[in-house]
Amino acid sequence: MENKTFIDGSSPHIRGNSSTKRIMLDVIIALAAPFFAGLWFFGFRALLVVFLAVISAYASEVVFNLCCKKTFKQALDIDLTSIVTGFIIGLSLNANAAWYLPVMASVFAVIVVKMLFGGTGNNIVNPAIAGRAFIFISFIGMAASNMASNWLTPDGNVLVGATPLSNMLNGSEAGVSNLDLFLGTNLAGCIGETCKVAIIVGFIYLVIRRVIDFKYPLIYIAVTGLFTVALKGFDFSWFLPSILSGGLMFVAVFMATDYVTSPTTKLGNYIYFVMLGLLTAGLRIACKIEVVTFVVLLMNFVVPFLDKWLVPKPFGNQPKNKEAKA
Amino acid sequence: MAKVKTKTFKKGVHFDDKKYLTKDAEIEEMPLIDDYFIALSQHIGVPATPLVESGDKVAEGQLIAKAEGFVSANVYSPVSGRVVGIEKRENKFGVMDKYIHVKREGEEMVTLPPIDVSDGKAIADRIEEAGIVGLGGAGFPTHVKAAPKKPVDLLIVNAAECEPYLNCDNRLLIEKPVEVIEGAKLIAKTIDIDRIIFGIEENKPRAYEQLSNINGVEVVLLKKKYPQGGEKQIIYACSGRKVPAKGLPMDVGVVVQNVATCFAVYEAVMLNKPLYERVLTVSGHGVNQPKNLLVKNGTPYSAILEYCGGIKEDTQKLVAGGPMMGIAMSNANGVTTKTDSGLLALSPEEANSAQPSACIHCGRCVAACPMNLMPLYIDFYTQAGEYKEAIKYGVEHCMECGCCSYVCPGKRPIVQSIKLCKAKLKEKK
Repeated sequence: MENKTFIDGSSPHIRGNSSTKRIMLDVIIALAAPFFAGLWFFGFRALLVVFLAVISAYASEVVFNLCCKKTFKQALDIDLTSIVTGFIIGLSLNANAAWYLPVMASVFAVIVVKMLFGGTGNNIVNPAIAGRAFIFISFIGMAASNMASNWLTPDGNVLVGATPLSNMLNGSEAGVSNLDLFLGTNLAGCIGETCKVAIIVGFIYLVIRRVIDFKYPLIYIAVTGLFTVALKGFDFSWFLPSILSGGLMFVAVFMATDYVTSPTTKLGNYIYFVMLGLLTAGLRIACKIEVVTFVVLLMNFVVPFLDKWLVPKPFGNQPKNKEAKA
Repeated sequence: MAKVKTKTFKKGVHFDDKKYLTKDAEIEEMPLIDDYFIALSQHIGVPATPLVESGDKVAEGQLIAKAEGFVSANVYSPVSGRVVGIEKRENKFGVMDKYIHVKREGEEMVTLPPIDVSDGKAIADRIEEAGIVGLGGAGFPTHVKAAPKKPVDLLIVNAAECEPYLNCDNRLLIEKPVEVIEGAKLIAKTIDIDRIIFGIEENKPRAYEQLSNINGVEVVLLKKKYPQGGEKQIIYACSGRKVPAKGLPMDVGVVVQNVATCFAVYEAVMLNKPLYERVLTVSGHGVNQPKNLLVKNGTPYSAILEYCGGIKEDTQKLVAGGPMMGIAMSNANGVTTKTDSGLLALSPEEANSAQPSACIHCGRCVAACPMNLMPLYIDFYTQAGEYKEAIKYGVEHCMECGCCSYVCPGKRPIVQSIKLCKAKLKEKK
């Protein structure tokens, strides 16, 4: 025993069980719910799109690591963040998307948005959101509605005015029932975004695993719905269609809650998610397209300031008490 | 038991307290060994000045080093024997320190002269004379704490023992509740306080029952949460008072003392026995026979571990104190001091350490910090060398409880960054 040496170092000497990998694995498990729903509704094409997105995201990180002169072993040993990014990109595309769309989105997301800024934890905007916005803008003439919203069937037929959101934006009557929107039946759209039931299953899993706080996505969704109602002259029939259609739910649960690009304080998070809701409802009506992607992208840039400006007061640091004593 | 509503503070972390290893182990007196190395610096403040030379004969309970100034403490010989010399040894921080080496010999024992226990001033002097320091871990001389410069009206006895594994205070309360309470009353007498509150965590039902059964003792049951025993946290939980940031408990009229300190005061005042031994929990899955031991100051850790059946091969960490705020030692050559509450041998599964990875900005450290700070940014700016920027995120208010590092999924050494940042800021001043 005299000669035995132990590991020294700073306290604490015990650590909790959470790890970045475990959290990312939980997100992947949660994403499986909308993924399987997508498979059910859109078939083999959905699998292909998601597969391409995930593989390109993973390959991008490995290649980037190799370019940074890491050894092969180090390059392969990645945390699962780029897998999550690829998975989300795949699910936020349409099942009939051309093969190069998921590839381009993933490569852009991982290399430009994440790795060039310093890798995990250092990106300013959510890579998946940025990747999605990137191809949406790049191919705007070709298939604008293809990317960011729900209005296309898997076989490529554009269903003009087939969903309440597009009707809402164009000012005509709703064509699909709320139940269809909720279940994802009779509905075109992005692979992961159509079936709200599956998204809710993923949401519940993430909440149970304590990966995300249940309040925040709910705030986003509720504020969007209520503000839409308010903007439509307090017509409450707008509430359900506005929260059930488009990419709102998927983005609120899986993208807006991304750790790296959301605030760390409670107050910061409340402001962030309320702002997301207000902007989504307002800009949807103003721009007449599904804007959730761009709203999150926009708010991502505000996050560093929310953290910088809203530093909580240390325990006991209360000017009121001091005055009372003096 | 379940009917009592528990009190607590905001934030903090919940974890497995691992108390079961030694919860029911009665306090055992460790048999005498041959060589003791008594540290001259066992407290916060100036090291004591040795009064003996090599070759001197000393008795158990004899003053062998004298306090140097006000913030310092006397040191007594734990055994009867002969001084071999004043030697330099590595202390538990890995820094060379001065020790009085006593070789056991004979069975002589001396005690302090009896005092008038109704006189507050006499008790205060005895606390100083007996070399009593805060036994919770900080080692702040008790006589300094018990002489507050502001009016105080409340003594809180910190029986939270929120560190995992440790049971030394728990066992003292189970086995010697009357003595601990008497000790607390004696401390209260020195500062003229009428109200004493015992704050105890709910995971110590037996100790809680013992205390509640004794008349005239106010006991507050606290929620099992770390760091419930943090000074500011326990004051808030027990009395609702908030110690101002950068302030001291006396700013809100409170003095906090630890259970073991109260017991030491009782022994010093009523039994005239100075402080040279204490109860220490030997635990962790790395140690073969976890125990609660009454150990003399200056006992080498290696001897304690040997007495507890040795340690397992795969032991990864050896910690003096609790696992959250204690000190990890690279070897077992250190010796016990007045402030040691635990000696833990941790297996790799318990330590659960891993290479740190990038901060993913999850905010769990912010959600856990009991001082309401933003540890991730303190870490970030310290890594960047921008120490002054870290002040904005509260580095100066940090008590290094370790909640942030504990919850961090990236296993980042946040507390280490904070310690570094504090040191660098001090350097610049």
